[in-house]
Amino acid sequence: MRVRAWFSLTRASIMEFLQFRLSALVMFLGNIIYLIVIYNLWKAIFASVDNGIVNGMSFNDTMIYLVLASAQFTFMEAYLVWEMGRSIQSGRIVLELLKPIPIEQYKLFGIEGGNIAAFVVTFIPTFIIVQVITKGAIPMGINLVYYLVAATLGMLINFSIDFLIGTVCLYTESTWGINIMKQVVVLFLSGAVVPLAFFPDKLRALALFLPFQAIYNTPLTFLTSNELTTMNSIKMLGVQAIWVVVLFVLAKLFWHLSERVITVNGG
Amino acid sequence: MSKLGFYLRIYGKIIVQDVKSKMSYRSDFIISIIGILLTDASELLAFYITFLNFPSVCGWTYHEMLFLYGFSLIALTPLQCLFDNNWNLRHYVYDGDFIKYCFRPINIFFYFISEDFDTKGIGQFLVGLGTLIYAWRKLGLSVSFISIALLVVALFSASLFMIAIMNIAAATCFYLTNSGYVIGTMSKFRDYAKYPITIFSTFFRLIFTFIIPIAFIAYYPSLVVLRPENIPLLTWFSPVYGIFFFYISYKVWMLGASKYSGTGS
Amino acid sequence: MNSVIELKSVDKEFKVLNRHEGLKGSFRDLFSRDYKIVEAVKNVSMTIEAGTIVGYLGPNGAGKSTTIKMMTGVLQPTRGEILVNGRVPYKNRTSNAQNIGVVFGQRSQLWWSLPLIESFKLLKDIYKISDKDYKDMLALYESLVDIKELYSKPVRQMSLGQRTLSDILAAFLHNPPIVFLDEPTIGLDVSMKAKIRDLIKALNKEKNTTVILTTHDMGDVDALCERIIIIDKGTMLYDNDIEHLRNFFGAYRTLKIRTNKNTEVVSEEEANEQLEIIKSKVASKFPDNDFIYGTEEGWYSILLDDSKIHLMKVLSFLQEQMTIYDVRLEEISTESVIKKIYEDSERMKKQEKAEVSHES
Repeated sequence: MRVRAWFSLTRASIMEFLQFRLSALVMFLGNIIYLIVIYNLWKAIFASVDNGIVNGMSFNDTMIYLVLASAQFTFMEAYLVWEMGRSIQSGRIVLELLKPIPIEQYKLFGIEGGNIAAFVVTFIPTFIIVQVITKGAIPMGINLVYYLVAATLGMLINFSIDFLIGTVCLYTESTWGINIMKQVVVLFLSGAVVPLAFFPDKLRALALFLPFQAIYNTPLTFLTSNELTTMNSIKMLGVQAIWVVVLFVLAKLFWHLSERVITVNGG
Repeated sequence: MSKLGFYLRIYGKIIVQDVKSKMSYRSDFIISIIGILLTDASELLAFYITFLNFPSVCGWTYHEMLFLYGFSLIALTPLQCLFDNNWNLRHYVYDGDFIKYCFRPINIFFYFISEDFDTKGIGQFLVGLGTLIYAWRKLGLSVSFISIALLVVALFSASLFMIAIMNIAAATCFYLTNSGYVIGTMSKFRDYAKYPITIFSTFFRLIFTFIIPIAFIAYYPSLVVLRPENIPLLTWFSPVYGIFFFYISYKVWMLGASKYSGTGS
Repeated sequence: MNSVIELKSVDKEFKVLNRHEGLKGSFRDLFSRDYKIVEAVKNVSMTIEAGTIVGYLGPNGAGKSTTIKMMTGVLQPTRGEILVNGRVPYKNRTSNAQNIGVVFGQRSQLWWSLPLIESFKLLKDIYKISDKDYKDMLALYESLVDIKELYSKPVRQMSLGQRTLSDILAAFLHNPPIVFLDEPTIGLDVSMKAKIRDLIKALNKEKNTTVILTTHDMGDVDALCERIIIIDKGTMLYDNDIEHLRNFFGAYRTLKIRTNKNTEVVSEEEANEQLEIIKSKVASKFPDNDFIYGTEEGWYSILLDDSKIHLMKVLSFLQEQMTIYDVRLEEISTESVIKKIYEDSERMKKQEKAEVSHES
């Protein structure tokens, strides 16, 4: 059984995360400051419209959406592209290939513990603070369960995209460039920078067609929208699940095609 | 030969050599430039989308906001180009490689920072300049020798603030066992520099003015050009404060470096 | 004599955070301020004359790097005095750095992406080397090693050997009175090691440079060092000429015997069994001696002090006990002398401890 290995890797990455001592606190404070900036900015922005609702989003909705998107970013983003690029350049990747677990599983469980720890340390407190500030605007019901499922699926999509892009680092030394491009595209088209609801129609149609929105927009919709039917919710999760399968297979395939770059060049 | 001349001469030589060697990795150079252009493009797009839905932000129009953004991009260019090695500091410190900077008869901070000239900052500079000129023209601001001179001084002092913040953030690795998130979190602050400080309540205005002085990166200095009839005292004060803050950050960095050698092997 | 380095009862202590194990421990470390004091260097004194090559030896973590960091001005001693070229190094790090050269382990100090000659040119500016001195030095280098072909090569593309060579040349470039070399031959192949040793020797001769060399390679010591300083657990164990070092245990000799006709037939277990037999026989006959035994490729070796017990006595005793096919006598090697010094100090400490606990 590999479950034991998965468990150990998860545990090790949680411990690694906690070694950060003050850094956990700094991350949390950083999030709080982000929250304050976003709060003030959007309050100022919404002050310029009369009825307080734009494209179906109120100030509260926008706030919840953006702040939680950022908190979600802190627990989801494991800088895997960056990490893979470095390990490819330093040749450490060869050692990782020697591990008795497929590399994508090694990577996934190596970072997922950190994700879980960051979820507890940053997301949950942020969630509580947002809930208090907005006086309980986040619906608390079955949608929280949907959120957890959607966030897990979103994380898997994010991981698959990261792994896919990280594999590109086998072909170029430009880890920084590859990483920043991926990050910008994913964040923007997933609606983490500006909510998709504000996008012009054509751009929104394009964004909804792409897998990125399933990382941030789908989970966050469960926390902002009151009017989701069970049918709709299941459908959204289904779309996510399809993306997980498609992207994971794609990532695995691309890695296997690219692996020979290491075996040919000797890493 | 003066000390400053000595350092400038060495710095010039290192930068020329470094840029030369970076240019030889052309694909990396191009991909990095595309990466940074894409980052800026997404920011501009975010502005554009926001202003499609909303007429103004706290009395600031679309073009005024663009001006602030362009200004902040230019002001952040020296940080990106000249001080980017700060991002690598923690790797040097944790791997023990930092020791190599301690054996030369030159200033450690200088030696460390001089090692890397980040070429992709040039892309950011061009986007910033383009945005600034575009906004300048759309706003119908006058162009005079005075306004240009003021802008240059304002840009210079503005650039010192974020450099100082990042120096301190990078130096935390001398004190903490794993400080990657400090520099990561601090670098996020540069994203807030593009907003007018008037959107905040008094308390946070004070924080962003004196504690984490990001309001000096774009807001205070660009008032010289944007709202010349109504310049707060702090704007005139910003060059002095910038130099002072930079000096503090330098001291923190150097203190950390001297503490570093105490950690053994 | 003209001394360039002087250490007077130098101590160095570090404050280290106590880390705890496991998941719970990580949580605790998040808040703990539990420090302990580690004594890296204890009461070290030495005086080093200009132009000598000194081997500074000791096992890993003995305090070698710490001492060198103090001499280079990177670290400040907790107690005691250090003078390098007549200066207190940590009080004026930059002016001290002007007068020393350092190669620290495998960490290249050259500009990673620049061609070697550009690194040299930068060093010329940084150390304010005059055009003439620079040209002369390069000419000297070119006469000693094939460095010209490396000039246009970026350091990142060099092999480890080429990089080490370049780093050593860079350390000597400004003709400092003292050069510190920390494990310069580590990881290199035999011919590259020889090349590096020849280079160090030649530069030391040519420029009368004092060289402080730390190494684990006894080949380096035998080839280069006129003087040996040994340190372990922060304390100095030995400081004298290399000749003295061999005389220190001069009476020690190794007796090697073979009790099988054919070395190939002896398996490892058999060899160990046979060694045990020899051990017990010799020990019962000469109970008051501490011999060191070993076996290698069918040979059994006994290290003994010839002045205490005559080697021939042991040999003739063994001849009575078993058939011996072949005999060899060996002078002690530098390596075994140093090993013996470590072991002796270890044993002395244990004895002290035992005595202390006995008293209390």
